[in-house]
Amino acid sequence: MDLVHNVHDGFATALTLRNVLYCGFGVLFGQVIGVLPGIGAPTAIALLLPLTFGVDPTSAIIMFAGIYYGVAYGGTITSVLVNVPGESSTVMTCLDGYQLARQGRAGAALSIAAIASWLAGTASIVLLMAFAPALARLAVHFGPAEFFALTMMAFGLLTVFGSENPLKVVISTMIGLLLTTVGIDVVSGMPRFTFGVPILLGGFDFVVLVCGMFGIAEVFNAIEQTEGGAGVAGRLRPRDLFLTWPDWVASRWAILRGGVIGFLVGLIPAGGITTASLVAYLSERRCSRTPERFGRGAIEGVAAPEAANNAASISGFAPLLALGIPGSATTAVMLAGFMMWGIRPGPLLFTQHANLVWGLIVSMFIGNLLLLLMNVFLIPVFTAMMRVPYSIMMGGIVVFAAVGAFSVNNNLVDVWVMLGFAVLAYVMLKLGYPVVPLVLALVLGKLSENSLRQALIISGGSLSIFVERPISAALLAVAALAYLSPLLRWALARRRRAAAAA
Amino acid sequence: MRRARVLGGLAALALGVAVIVLSRRLPYDSDYGPGPGFLPTWIGWVLSACAAVVTVQELRAPAAGELLAPRTALAVKVLVAIALTLLLVPALGFAAAFGLFSAVTMRITGRHAWVACACAAAAVTVGLHYVFGRWLSVPLPTGLLGW
Repeated sequence: MDLVHNVHDGFATALTLRNVLYCGFGVLFGQVIGVLPGIGAPTAIALLLPLTFGVDPTSAIIMFAGIYYGVAYGGTITSVLVNVPGESSTVMTCLDGYQLARQGRAGAALSIAAIASWLAGTASIVLLMAFAPALARLAVHFGPAEFFALTMMAFGLLTVFGSENPLKVVISTMIGLLLTTVGIDVVSGMPRFTFGVPILLGGFDFVVLVCGMFGIAEVFNAIEQTEGGAGVAGRLRPRDLFLTWPDWVASRWAILRGGVIGFLVGLIPAGGITTASLVAYLSERRCSRTPERFGRGAIEGVAAPEAANNAASISGFAPLLALGIPGSATTAVMLAGFMMWGIRPGPLLFTQHANLVWGLIVSMFIGNLLLLLMNVFLIPVFTAMMRVPYSIMMGGIVVFAAVGAFSVNNNLVDVWVMLGFAVLAYVMLKLGYPVVPLVLALVLGKLSENSLRQALIISGGSLSIFVERPISAALLAVAALAYLSPLLRWALARRRRAAAAA
Repeated sequence: MRRARVLGGLAALALGVAVIVLSRRLPYDSDYGPGPGFLPTWIGWVLSACAAVVTVQELRAPAAGELLAPRTALAVKVLVAIALTLLLVPALGFAAAFGLFSAVTMRITGRHAWVACACAAAAVTVGLHYVFGRWLSVPLPTGLLGW
C-alpha cells in the first residue's frame, strides 16, 4: 500500500505545471544535446547546474533526469543518419542503424529505436519503483565500514568496465581523490595542500572542475576530430517511420532482452549506459539464429542496444538515490547538484525527501512519453539541427561553461581554475588516461575518506571492522575481484595463447 | 607519441612522490584514529606505484600514432583565445569579452564571414548582459564602459 500511496504522491508532484514544464524542457534539451556532437549529458548538466541555485530541487532534478535519458534518444539520430554517435551510449546503434539507413530504412531504424527505448524505459521505471526503496531499506543498516567498502567497489568496477589500461584508471582515480583532500580537513581542522593560498582553503569546487573537464576539454577534443561519416537520408517522410510486421517479430525479444540487460547493468556502480548497450548488442548477436546479419542492417541490432541504454539510464538512479553512489559521470554531476541544494542522497532520502524521490521517478513516465512523441513527430526538426556547424556551437559551450564556473562564487579566478582543469583533462585524454574515474573520485572522495576514518575510529584502529561485517566484507571482496580482474584476464589470455601454440 | 606517453607516466610518478613528501608534514595518526595525512600518504604510494609500472609499459610499447592531430593547432588557438578573453574581462567586461571571443573563434575555426562573426559577437554580448546579468542576476564583471 505504501508503494501505491508513494506513486500517488509522485504523480501529484510530477504533474504540477511547473514540473511538467521542467521535465519537457529537460527531455527536449537532452534530445538536442544528443543530436549535437561534441557535448554530452554530463557537460550539459554541469553547465546548467550553477543556474539552478534558486530553483526548487525537485524541479531541477526532474529536468536533469530528463536531460540524461533524453540524450540517449537524441544520440540515436546521428548514429543512424550519419554514422556518428551523438553519445557514446549509441555507438552500437551505428553498426546496424547506419546500414539500415543506407538501405533506405532510416525511418524504421529510428522508429524501432524510439519504441524500444520507450518500452524498456517504462518497464525500468516500474522496476525502479520496486527496487530502489528495497535497496534503501537495506542501506539503512549501512555504517561507515559499508559506505567505505561501497566506494571502493565503485572505484574497483571502473577498472572492469573501462576500456582503458586499468592502471591508468587507478591513476586517474587517485588524482581525483587527491583533489578532494585539498582544503581544510573536516576532522582535524588542518589545511592540506593549500600552500598558503587562501582560495584553496575551501578546496576545489566540483562544478568548476566539471565545467572545465567536460565542457571545455570536450570542445578541444571535438575541434581536433575530423568531420566523419557520410550523411544519408536527407529528408524523412512520416510514412518512412512505419514498421513492418517482420520488423516487430524480429525486435520483440531483442527489446525484452536488451531492457533486462540494461536494467541490471545500470544498477552496478560504474556500469554505465554505454556498457549496457554494448553487452545487449553482443548478447543479441549471440542469441540470434542469423548472427551474420548483424552489422549489415539487422533491426534487432538497433532495438537491443537502444532498449538497454534507456533501461540503464533509468536503473542508474537506484544506486544514486538509495545509496548516494553515482554509477556514471552524469549521475556524479547530479549528485553534486543534490549536495549543492543541501540534500544528501542515500537511504534516508526516501523518508526525508519522499516527494522529491517519487516525483522524480514518476516524472520519468512523463519524460519517456514526451520523448516517444518527439521522436515520432519531430525527427525532421532534429535532423535539420545536425547541420549547425560546430564552429558556432563551440562558442556557446565555452560561454556557458565560463558563466557556470564564474557564478559558483562570482569569482573570475574560478574561470581560470576551470581552464586549468580543462587543459589537464585534454592532456589526460590525449595520453590515454580516462577522465570519468577522476570525476567519480572527486564526488565520492570525501564520503570515502570520512567513512574510512569514522570506521577506524569506531574499531579503535583495527582493520577487522571491514571484514567482520558481512555486507562490508562482500563489497570489499567484489572490489578486490574487480581490481584483480585485469590480472586474471591477462593470465587467462596467456594460457589460451600457450594452449594455441602447443 | 611514445615519448609523450612516457613523459605522462613520469609526471604522474613525480606527482605521486611529491604527494608522499608533502604528506609527511601532516600527522598520519591522531588520538581518534587516522590523521589528515593518512589518506594522502596512501594516495601518494598507490599513485607512484601505478605510475612507475605505466612508465615501464609505455617504454616497452611499440611507437604508434601521433600526439598532435592535424587540427591540434586549432584547439590550442581556441585555448589561447579563452585565456586572452579572460585577460580582457577587466577592460571590456565579461559580456563584451566573451562576445568578442565568439566572433574570433567562429572566424578561426569555421572561416565564417566577418559580418556573421560581428552579428554573433553582438548577440552573445547582449544575450549575456540581459539573460545572465539582468534576468538571472549573475553579477558578471563589468568593464570600462560599464557593461
